[in-house]
Amino acid sequence: MTQPQSRIRRSFGDLSERALAFWLLVPAALLLGLVALYPVGRLLYTSLFRRRLTDETGNSPVFVGFQNFVQAFSDERFWTALWNTLLIVLVTVPGALVVGLLLALLANLPFRVKWPIRLGLLLPWALPLVFAGLIFRWFFDSQYGVINDVIVRLGGERLLWVTTPELLFWAICLSIIWKSSSFVALILLAGLQVIPKELYESAAVDGANRWQSFWRITLPLLIPAILVAAIFRTITAFQTFDIPFAMQNGGSSFETLAMYVRTMSIENLNFGYGSALAVLMFLISFVVTLVYLRYVRGADD
Amino acid sequence: MKWDNPRIWLWVAAAIVVVNGFFPAVWILLTSFKTESELTRIPITWLPENPTFQNYVQAFTNAPIMRYFLNSLIVAGGATLLCVFVSALAAYALARLRIPNKTLIFSLLVGISMFPTVTLLLPLFEMVLALGLRNNYIALILPHAALSIPVATLVLVSFFQGIPKDLESAAMVDGCSRLGALWRIVVPLSAPGVFTASILAFVNSWDEFLLALTLMPSQAMRTLPVGIQFLQGEYSFPWPLISAALVIALVPVALVIAIFQERVVGGLTQGGVKG
Repeated sequence: MTQPQSRIRRSFGDLSERALAFWLLVPAALLLGLVALYPVGRLLYTSLFRRRLTDETGNSPVFVGFQNFVQAFSDERFWTALWNTLLIVLVTVPGALVVGLLLALLANLPFRVKWPIRLGLLLPWALPLVFAGLIFRWFFDSQYGVINDVIVRLGGERLLWVTTPELLFWAICLSIIWKSSSFVALILLAGLQVIPKELYESAAVDGANRWQSFWRITLPLLIPAILVAAIFRTITAFQTFDIPFAMQNGGSSFETLAMYVRTMSIENLNFGYGSALAVLMFLISFVVTLVYLRYVRGADD
Repeated sequence: MKWDNPRIWLWVAAAIVVVNGFFPAVWILLTSFKTESELTRIPITWLPENPTFQNYVQAFTNAPIMRYFLNSLIVAGGATLLCVFVSALAAYALARLRIPNKTLIFSLLVGISMFPTVTLLLPLFEMVLALGLRNNYIALILPHAALSIPVATLVLVSFFQGIPKDLESAAMVDGCSRLGALWRIVVPLSAPGVFTASILAFVNSWDEFLLALTLMPSQAMRTLPVGIQFLQGEYSFPWPLISAALVIALVPVALVIAIFQERVVGGLTQGGVKG
């Protein structure tokens, strides 16, 4: 007599559940190991060497300990790039959160036809960052750009957006905020849709106006979604590369940390020092990720 | 209509969201139909005076846009297939099987998804040089596939969890192997999830710039973002050509997004909020 239970065949012959799980996870683990984990290890290793492809250390790297890191701390270009990156984070993360919240609140209104709204939020998300950079570069063109055209029609002065450093910074920030606020809006919209309607109804019964119910109900209940969006945005804003690269046509009068890391490693072929810069960048972003993981796990409990 | 009519405000709200989302694409579409002499006139025109297809003709003949398009399609297609296949296996294990340290595995996935791409760039560049794979599709397909594994896996796990376990057990009682049950029951039922994961992986790869710029730099191997970015330096007044090229590059993605918008939104917020 066979129990029904024992007639369940365990995949290839008699593979145990644990072995099956192992083999199912292997391909993903291999690919991630090859493309993400090994490179990080390799980076840490190379950062301890003097290695440039342009001289003899390309083939025979010289161990220098932490000298590359010491060099970074006195490298003015590194500090400028780090400062520029922090400015981008400080301006575009709150900017995208405010614009994203506004878009989410508008998109959450009871529209009968929803697809134009949804598409209005999805299109900026799906647009490649480089394309957003190119389009906004054209918008901000000093002579033929639509933004200067509007400014002049309103009676203002033509602005040299691309060639004036401060204006270039704001042009870059505005492009990033436009590009990233729709992703924030989609996350916040999902958060808005799970707030129970009864809360607003009972608040209305108690005489609360819209403004009060926004501050007392919507915002407090939306805090978890806002935090998730804020941390996501912080991590991606810290990696900003595509938009400033495209808007300056590969130039670097405004340079972010990611742009400096790439120039040092790939253009200058200074692998040792480039790796040290990348390690510093990795460590900073790792700390933010740890905060995020702790927060997510805290929310699960 | 009166201004205290709530329907007016609904229209205003809709207009703000729609205009904000569409105006760059619309502006580039208008630009693509203008001649160079119209584009370099001040004050600028908003609507094209004499709409022309000349920029598109040039994009197809003078600039290798179709080649870039093909490269993007091969890379994004290959990366999507590989990523979704590998992620589906992992997601099934994570959703259905008893695995020690599951939380650790999820944390690792999320952690890896947040690695800055630029920090992986140099080691990948070295590997690709050492293997002689520079300007080879494989050099870009593998990293693009890997970079989308976390989000694809998270989306697929939540879809697999939504499929009743009893269906699988029933199939296994009827003599299906576990993999057979996976193939005949779980995969068809999770088709929407597989589809969502595929779109996310595809868009990620289609949009990626930094790795494509570094690992496939020769002109014949450029993907659309790299190829179109380089048009900036290759022409003295590149905007007519760039705008036509952008329209060509954007139409397929816009279509996919328009057709499958609900799934994309669902997948995005799942991968995001649950991540």
